[in-house]
Amino acid sequence: MGKFEIEVFPELCTGCLRCQLSCSDLYTGAFAPSQARIRIMSGGLNCEVHFTEECNKCGVCAENCLYGALRKVRAEDER
Amino acid sequence: MNLGGFAGRILRVDLSSRLVRTEPLDPGFAEDFLGGLGISLRLARERIKPGIGALSAENPIIVGVGPLVGTNVPASSRVYAVSKFPSNGAIGWCGGGGMTFGCLLKCAGYDHVVIEGRAAEAVILRILDDHVEIAGARDLWGKGVEETCEALWARFGRPAGIICVGQAGENLVSFSMAYIDGFSTLGRGGFGAVMGSKNLKAIFVQGTKGVSVSDRKHYKELLQGLMGRIRDYPYLKEWQEMGLMKSLEVVPPELYRRIKKRRLACVSCPLGDKDIVEIPQGPHAGQIICSTSAVNLFTPSSMGLRDPWEAARIVSVLDGLGMDMFEFFGVLGFARTLLDNSIIPRSEAEPDILLESLPSLEAWAGKISRREGLGQILAEGLHGLVQEFGERARRCAPPMVKGMLPYVGPQAPLRWSLLGTMELGQLLEPRGPHVATSGSPTYFARRPLEVFPKHLTRMGVPPEALEGILPGLETGQGQIRVGRLLKYSHRWFTILACLGICARAQVNRFYDAGLCARLYEAVTGLVTPLEELRFKADRVWTLLRMLNVREGFHRAQDSPPAQWFGLEGFKDYLSDKPLSSEEVEAMLDDYYREQGWDPRTGAPKRERLVELGIADL
Repeated sequence: MGKFEIEVFPELCTGCLRCQLSCSDLYTGAFAPSQARIRIMSGGLNCEVHFTEECNKCGVCAENCLYGALRKVRAEDER
Repeated sequence: MNLGGFAGRILRVDLSSRLVRTEPLDPGFAEDFLGGLGISLRLARERIKPGIGALSAENPIIVGVGPLVGTNVPASSRVYAVSKFPSNGAIGWCGGGGMTFGCLLKCAGYDHVVIEGRAAEAVILRILDDHVEIAGARDLWGKGVEETCEALWARFGRPAGIICVGQAGENLVSFSMAYIDGFSTLGRGGFGAVMGSKNLKAIFVQGTKGVSVSDRKHYKELLQGLMGRIRDYPYLKEWQEMGLMKSLEVVPPELYRRIKKRRLACVSCPLGDKDIVEIPQGPHAGQIICSTSAVNLFTPSSMGLRDPWEAARIVSVLDGLGMDMFEFFGVLGFARTLLDNSIIPRSEAEPDILLESLPSLEAWAGKISRREGLGQILAEGLHGLVQEFGERARRCAPPMVKGMLPYVGPQAPLRWSLLGTMELGQLLEPRGPHVATSGSPTYFARRPLEVFPKHLTRMGVPPEALEGILPGLETGQGQIRVGRLLKYSHRWFTILACLGICARAQVNRFYDAGLCARLYEAVTGLVTPLEELRFKADRVWTLLRMLNVREGFHRAQDSPPAQWFGLEGFKDYLSDKPLSSEEVEAMLDDYYREQGWDPRTGAPKRERLVELGIADL
C-alpha cells in the first residue's frame, strides 16, 4: 500500500492525459499512455478513471493533474 | 535513428495501389528542418510536383507531429498537415490542436504520414502500431463528422485519434475542413476536399509504444520550472473555467456557465479550450454540441444571426458537414449581394438566402455540402462566384485575399480595425488568411510600446532587430514597423509548429524562444542553441515561400484588397489614422526585406537561399 490515496473527480477531468503520460514516464522511462497505471476513459460527456492492479498510489498522476481531477491525500494508516 | 522525441519513421501510403510501407526518417531532415511542420514542408518539396491539381491523385497529404508531441511538455500536441489547397492552389499548412491524435500517432511509431493516390471507393486508413490497413468505409460515406467519429470509436475502441471529413469534404467543397477527434479543425482552404478527392473518409490511429527523451535530467529540470510558472499563473483557474471566453467574451459569463457541460483539452494542455455545451432553449433545446471553442459557437452573432442559440445551432450544422464558418458566411453574404443586384436570378435561390434566418442558413449549408442547384457554384467559394458571374460580380465582391475572405478587418467576421501583425499577416500567409501564424503583442489594441520589448524578446527577436521594429522607442516618440515585426511573428510560429507546441497566445505565453531551444535539445539530443533554432525556423518559413513561388505565387497575390482602405478601413496601430494602400504596401516591403526576400517579386533572394542552405532544393 502506498502512502497516499488518490481522490478522483471525473467531472473536472479534461482528458489531457498528463496523468497517464507522467505515470508511464515514471515507471517505464518513456511517455506511453497505454503503459500507465491510471487509465482515463474519456468520450463526449463521459469520463471514467481507472487504476490498474500495479498502481501503488504513488501520486505522480495527481501531482501532474492541473485541473483538480486527481488529488493526492495521505492514506488513513499514515495520518 | 536515435534521436529522442522522434519515432524515427514515416508511414507512406498509396491509396491507388493500396501499398503501405514505412521508411526511416532521415536524421538530416531533423537536423536541418527541426521536425513537425518543418519536416512536413521538406517532404512536400519532394512529394508535391509543381503544377499538379490540388484535387488530383498526385497531390499528397502530409501529416506530421513535432518531437515534443507525445511528451508531457504542456500543450505539445499540435498536428500539422501540408498539401496543395483547392481554394487557391497554394501549398500550405493546416494545423490543429491534436486532441489525442498527435500523441497516439507518435505512440504508434510515426512522425509523419504521407498519403498519395486515390482509393477506388470510400476508405479509412487504420493505424494500430505496425498494423496499417486501408479499410472500406462505404457505410461511413455520407455521414457527418461527429457521427463518423462515434461510429469509428464504437467499432475499433478508444483511446484512438481520428482525422475525418464530413459531407462537405466528400463533395469537394472548396472551404471544407477536416476535424481532429471531432473538435479541432484542419484546413480552412479546403483540406477536407483534398481528403474527399482521395475517397479518404478518415485516418484512425491507436498506438501502444512510447516516446523517449534524450536528456532526462535536463528535461525534468526544464519541466519543473515551466510547470511552476503555469501553476503560479494567477489567472490559471479562470482560464480553465472560461476557456477562450476569458479573452473573447462573446456572451455574458453567466450564460456560458449555464450551458457548459464539459471542457476538453488536447493531450498535455493545461488550458483546455474545447467545449461541450447544451442549447438551453428554443427549438433545439437539449442539443449537445461539441466545438473547438464556445467562442466559435457564438461568432455568427456578428454575421447576422442574432439569437445565440441559433448561432450555436448553425455552427454545429457546419461542423457536422465539415465546412468553414467564416467562408460559409462570406459566400452566402456575397450570394445575397448578387441576388440583390440581379446577377444571380432569384429563381436560383430557393429558399431565399437570408443571413439572419436559421432555416435559410441550414438549408444552404446542406445544399452547398451536396452541391445541389446553386450550391454547386457556392461550393467553389468566393473565387468560384466571381469566376461564374464575371466582372459584375467582381465589382461587388467582398474583400478577398488569395480568393478567400479575410477573417479580420473591414467587412470581415472580426471587425477589428487596427492593423497589427495578425491583420497584415493575412496577406502573407501563403494559402490565404487564417489564424495562428502572425501573433504578437499587437493582438491587443493600443498596447503601450514600452511593453513590446519584453514580449518580443520572449518571441526570440534578437536585440539588434528591436531598434528596427520599434524605432525611436527611447525618445518617447516611438514607432512600430508592423511589417518588420511580422517576420519575427512568423519565425516564432514556425519554432512552435516545428516542435509541436500550441501557437495559441493563451498557452505560448509560458514559453520563450530560449526555453524552446533548451527543450528541443533536451528532448532530441540535437545541440541547438537559440541562434540556430531561429536560423532553422527561417529556413522552414522560407522553404514554404519557395514552394509557392514555384507554383507561380508572387508579390501581386500579397496585395491588400481595396476594401481595406477609406473611412471604414484599417487604421494605424498607434495613431488610429486611416491607412492608405501605399502605407500597407510599404509594410510589405519591410517584411520582404527583413526576410531577405526580393520586395519587387516577393521571392526569396538567391543569396538568402544560399545562406539558409536551401538554394539547391
